[in-house]
Amino acid sequence: MANTKGELTVTGVNHSYGTGKLRVPVLFDINLHINRGEFVALCGSSGSGKSTLLNLLAGLTKPEEGSVTVSGEEISKFSENQLCLFRRKNMGFIFQSYNLLPNLTALENVELPLIFAGESVKKRRAKATEILNRVGLDGRIHHRPNELSGGQQQRVSIARALVNQPDIILADEPTGNLDSKTEQEILHLMREMNKENGTTFIIVTHEQEVAEQSDRVIYLQDGRVVQKRTRPA
Amino acid sequence: MKVIDSFRIVWRNLWRMKLRTALTSVGVMIGTAAIVAMMALSLGLKESAVKSLENFGNLTEMDVEPMYYNQEKDEPIPDDQRKRLNMEAVQELKKIPGIASVMPVKRLNEQAKLKVGRREGYVELVGVDVNESAAYRKNDVEKGNYLTGSPQEVVVAYDVPREMRDVEKEKREARRRNSGGGRQSDMPPDMMGGGGEGAAFNIVDKAATLVLTREYRIDDEPKFEKKELRVRVVGQLRKSENFRYSSAVYVPLSVVKELNDWVNRSRGNESDEGSPRRTREQAKKDTFEFDQMTVKVESREQVESVVKALKEKGYEVWSPARELETINKFFFVIQMVLGGIAAISLLVATIGIVNTMIMSILERTKEIGIMKVIGATVFNIRWLFLMESGFIGLIGGLAGLGMAWGAVELVNYFGASGGIMDSLNMGYGGGGPEGEPSKLAVIPAWLALFAIGFSFVIGLLAGIFPAIRASRLSALQAIRSE
Repeated sequence: MANTKGELTVTGVNHSYGTGKLRVPVLFDINLHINRGEFVALCGSSGSGKSTLLNLLAGLTKPEEGSVTVSGEEISKFSENQLCLFRRKNMGFIFQSYNLLPNLTALENVELPLIFAGESVKKRRAKATEILNRVGLDGRIHHRPNELSGGQQQRVSIARALVNQPDIILADEPTGNLDSKTEQEILHLMREMNKENGTTFIIVTHEQEVAEQSDRVIYLQDGRVVQKRTRPA
Repeated sequence: MKVIDSFRIVWRNLWRMKLRTALTSVGVMIGTAAIVAMMALSLGLKESAVKSLENFGNLTEMDVEPMYYNQEKDEPIPDDQRKRLNMEAVQELKKIPGIASVMPVKRLNEQAKLKVGRREGYVELVGVDVNESAAYRKNDVEKGNYLTGSPQEVVVAYDVPREMRDVEKEKREARRRNSGGGRQSDMPPDMMGGGGEGAAFNIVDKAATLVLTREYRIDDEPKFEKKELRVRVVGQLRKSENFRYSSAVYVPLSVVKELNDWVNRSRGNESDEGSPRRTREQAKKDTFEFDQMTVKVESREQVESVVKALKEKGYEVWSPARELETINKFFFVIQMVLGGIAAISLLVATIGIVNTMIMSILERTKEIGIMKVIGATVFNIRWLFLMESGFIGLIGGLAGLGMAWGAVELVNYFGASGGIMDSLNMGYGGGGPEGEPSKLAVIPAWLALFAIGFSFVIGLLAGIFPAIRASRLSALQAIRSE
């Protein structure tokens, strides 16, 4: 059996929000395949369905029709608990608003996925410290989120996404709240992680800069994939 | 997730909202304190009542006799169906769970006088099967040894030497009084008092004489005959709470049998050997029966079950322990009523925990979403919220226990100084047999542990609904909430 780790396949997905008269279709007949280690940007205007597609890939939403297969597992058929376990093992998340727990330090925030995975204190502390050093936060690991800048918080968020060594990282507007200099730094960091670890990155963005640095850009318009562009080698 | 890590997270969350945690715990604290204090009061009163009962005798010792009347059927038990106090009965009693030992006794039908040197006193001669009673009484020997089976050996109860009078001294004093010009008393020294609780003298290993007097009539004229038995006091028992044996002198069974025969002969006519009465006595002798059996129960907690088992087997029990059942039933009702009233406040506290936890979920919806996205399972979320509410209950329980303990100490302090205990003990002395002061309220270890465990469980129960609610939150919606 072929190694499908880090691969994502979306087949014939249709999705909508609401019910009855309030039903709003969001995605139409989406078919996609993302390879292991790819750095993919999902672009499109507001309301085009890119975040919904990302949520389907993360298993945070189940498609009304079609299937989503991640690392060879059809996650659209998973129960809530199975999805939690699958995400813990295979996926990392980076959010626009960082989504760090405000009462925990940077180190503790990064440790959190390892706590849920049942890692021992010694091991998880070592792993978290190492990854925080790797994202350039060695002097700030005992600071709480409100004591860190936006860029630093996003670095913590990246460190948290990577600490479990997942095959796939899903990022929703990771540079949306950052200035252009920090945006470049974060983008550079994600690219490095992608190359070093072979981790698949799927980034929802409307920043041209991000799209330009991606291996592949998938454009969505009114819930349909309208263009797939591969960066020339 | 490791349990210790979950406790750390829970503690951090509780500490983060410490004011709310404290206020919610206050509800549990008051509820727990009320329950513990009410139970402690009820238990203290029960303990006090039982101690009062113990003043009538040791509750773990009871006399067993055949049952003569069937109270359920409300009819006398026919003679042929009545239990016989023989060796078979001893074996039957020994098989009852909770009975530590059985002492069958045959008493002398007359009082006897024990003389040791210049001292003498009236005693009750108790014949015991040396082997059976050894298990019962051997540990009670304070000085010397227990009976070995020799008919010349006796063991005396603790009070026996204390109750003996110095006859020579009394005679000297009487002579002194008479030589002072007073009218010479014609009262025998025995009737002059002067006994009472004197200073104990060492009676063990002393030669003694047992004096029995039998009365018989010749032509309606009362005649008296004395019989003296030379014995040796081999041991003295320690002080017993059982007043029934306070003046007992224990001798082998054969001695009492022989002496009873001598006394009984004297009551009848020595010449009517062939009379029906003599025949009946002869028949009785063939199937020897004890007067009574005294059983020792392993612990006070087992007394009730032993009494029940004895009654079921057709024996009547004579002991203050018979009242234990009534006391237990009465105080069980009291405990239920008082506990029930206090439980209402705990119910209110439970609703308080539910409310706090739901508020907490609303405030931490985003946090729950984040945890679910980064790998927390449904079980992890439920566990964290359950533990959180359980800990609120536990904190309240511990504080409530402390509060109840303080209240109990105060009640006991003022109860003791205000003489409430004396009035409750109805003048039998507040202390138990050991002389320790009775308390108006007591918190036994089991009640303290129960209170802590119960408050934790209450917290857990209160957390079930909020925990399920938290775990069912959609990760996507939760993470989008502000």
